[in-house]
Amino acid sequence: MINLKDLLSPFFVWQRAFEKPYTSIRPTIDRPGAPAYRGFHINIAETCVGCGSCHEICQNHAIDMVAVEEYLGREGDSGLRPRFDYGRCCWCGLCVDICTAASLRMSNEYAWISDDPTVFHFTAGVDDKPWQDNENGYRRAEGYHLYPPKRIEMEMLPPEESIRSFDEVARGYDEQQAKKEADRCVECGICVATCPAHMDVPDYIHSIRDGDYEKGLQLMYRTNPFPATCGRICTRRCESVCPVGILGEPVAIRWLKRFIVDQVDASDYKRILADTITENGKKIAVIGAGPGGMSAAYYLRKKGYAVTVFETQESAGGMLRYGVPSYRLPDNDLDKDIDYIVSLGVEVKYNTAVGKDIKFEQLLENYDAVFMSTGLWVPSSMRIHGEDHARVLSGLQVLADVANGRDPGIGKKVAVIGGGNVAMDAARVSRRFDAEVTILYRRRISEMPADEEEIHESQEEGCTIVTQAIPVEVLKADSEQQVTIRWGEAEMVDDPRGGRARPVLQEDRMHTDTFDSIISAIGQGSNLDYISKEMHDKLAIEWGKFTPSEYQHTTLEKVFVGGDFANRTADAISAIEDGHHAARGIDRYLNPAAYEEK
Amino acid sequence: MNTVDEILDYAIDQEQQAADFYEDVAQRAETAGMKKILLDFSKEEKRHKKILIDVKAGEHELSPEQEVLDLKISDYLVEVEASDNITYQDALIIAMKKERAAHKLYSDMAANIPESHLKEVLEGLAKEEAKHKLFFESEYDERVLMDN
Repeated sequence: MINLKDLLSPFFVWQRAFEKPYTSIRPTIDRPGAPAYRGFHINIAETCVGCGSCHEICQNHAIDMVAVEEYLGREGDSGLRPRFDYGRCCWCGLCVDICTAASLRMSNEYAWISDDPTVFHFTAGVDDKPWQDNENGYRRAEGYHLYPPKRIEMEMLPPEESIRSFDEVARGYDEQQAKKEADRCVECGICVATCPAHMDVPDYIHSIRDGDYEKGLQLMYRTNPFPATCGRICTRRCESVCPVGILGEPVAIRWLKRFIVDQVDASDYKRILADTITENGKKIAVIGAGPGGMSAAYYLRKKGYAVTVFETQESAGGMLRYGVPSYRLPDNDLDKDIDYIVSLGVEVKYNTAVGKDIKFEQLLENYDAVFMSTGLWVPSSMRIHGEDHARVLSGLQVLADVANGRDPGIGKKVAVIGGGNVAMDAARVSRRFDAEVTILYRRRISEMPADEEEIHESQEEGCTIVTQAIPVEVLKADSEQQVTIRWGEAEMVDDPRGGRARPVLQEDRMHTDTFDSIISAIGQGSNLDYISKEMHDKLAIEWGKFTPSEYQHTTLEKVFVGGDFANRTADAISAIEDGHHAARGIDRYLNPAAYEEK
Repeated sequence: MNTVDEILDYAIDQEQQAADFYEDVAQRAETAGMKKILLDFSKEEKRHKKILIDVKAGEHELSPEQEVLDLKISDYLVEVEASDNITYQDALIIAMKKERAAHKLYSDMAANIPESHLKEVLEGLAKEEAKHKLFFESEYDERVLMDN
């Protein structure tokens, strides 16, 4: 027998048809995600540098890095931006946690309905999405980092000790420190583009992690035959674009390079680098055995050319030996780099001046190509009255004297005029001769062209920097062993034409000070007297500098140039790359068949 | 010189002389690079001359109101000679000293006469020369004092 309730229940159910339903027709409206919900991705594309750490860390391979037109070619930017595949993403937020630029975050949006499956691939911050400006959603917690933001400190000699000798000030990493520092690298490769020589930075850093220093050395030599040098004194443009440096301190790329080369003994270089030379019968002349000339010599030799380097000094190295003091770049380390290059059969004629001992035209005649890299050795003059006083010395001369083991004769109270690296070197060298040092620079510290580290260390070592100080006259002092300088304070004034702020002398704020010597280090020019006037015109030299075309070629067929007098960056790594690039150019010029499209 | 026209004629002549001077040094310059620079200076002087000719013809006003920045660089540099192997640094020094001398001439003259149209013109010329001096001094600060 059927229960009466059961019989009548369909009719009771029908009354529900007139009630408000418990379910919603559109369940997605009006239920926002929690404030820290891990919803759809937001990327501030302007801040993002395309390092790809998000792509690397994603466990679901849900992120691809794609090229975005408007960011291509920006300095310190890979030009790529993350593209998300929401078919694969699990919204774990690891990508946000590792983002080196703090540009990636999540909104609290979670509803996205479409019957076109391809829309769920999108480039955050580039493709327009309604949640892009969402204030809510998951952000990386303040102070939470998946990699250590601070770098491993490089141990330096304390200043009171460092000024007592020319011992190397930076002590170097030990293996544990190096590995820890190498671990901070996110392998984005943005540094590679910025390095003038495009060194394989992430790869050689990786070799430290693997403990394979021989591999690291090989990698470095592909682009740079001066790793011991650059591992100490490079201007490290790479570090200025390292994304780890956005929220923390950049990876200590220079110190890691030094670590690798310090692990390998010079006697093992031949075996490890295994440079086999197949002579091609052609001869190249290189003028100048500095970083530009020796780098060209190395890469030309590897291509089988017979190379002769003409050098006026008695040793190779150029500015590296006669400019950079040994507490920054010890002679042994510079020799390590140079000796290997020479060991490949590069002939270096020391104490030989082109223009005097052999004519430039003879080189053009006797060699298949010529590479010039003679640098900027002529100190600029201040052109103020009294500058020819015997106690006014040039910074370059002081540094060269010290490099040659001679006493520079600066006395005990020294004024250094200038704000570049030569001025800092001259100042710190003077401290090592126990002199009291005052640096006079005409602009502000922030405008000093010297390396920040050098400025800081010169102050640590007791140099006094007087900024906005313009020297106007050199006067005789009471004693012949001394010299007096009259200088005035300057006010910085905006340039009406929009250039940088200019220092304007305030004639009512003048000073007179007496020193044992004044070291002038205000700039350098080239000495191209070894080329005749006719050659000058054929080579299109302007303001004493070259502007070579592609592959370091000049307007004269056989002649290539590189280094400080042919580029705007004027540092060792640029000279090294110029030398390498000229080697490529010379090979294309002398061996064009090898480069023809098959 | 008494009338405005006489003053302007003098100034125009000075600009031509300066242009000729630079052309002469350019002919003697040893390198193509320096030749070009000195010829550019000469062109600059001819441009100044044109401005003054326009002022004389009433087609251009000299504006004495604006203060021109004085970088005071030329005041403390030694005299240099226009030798055959003149450097860029030296060429700029010669140029800025010439402009400074011209500026001083006109402003001294203006200081010695009472208020008048003539005084205004002299002050205007002084300001023009100050602008030229600023141009060369800025170049000096930018290029020669680049690392300093």
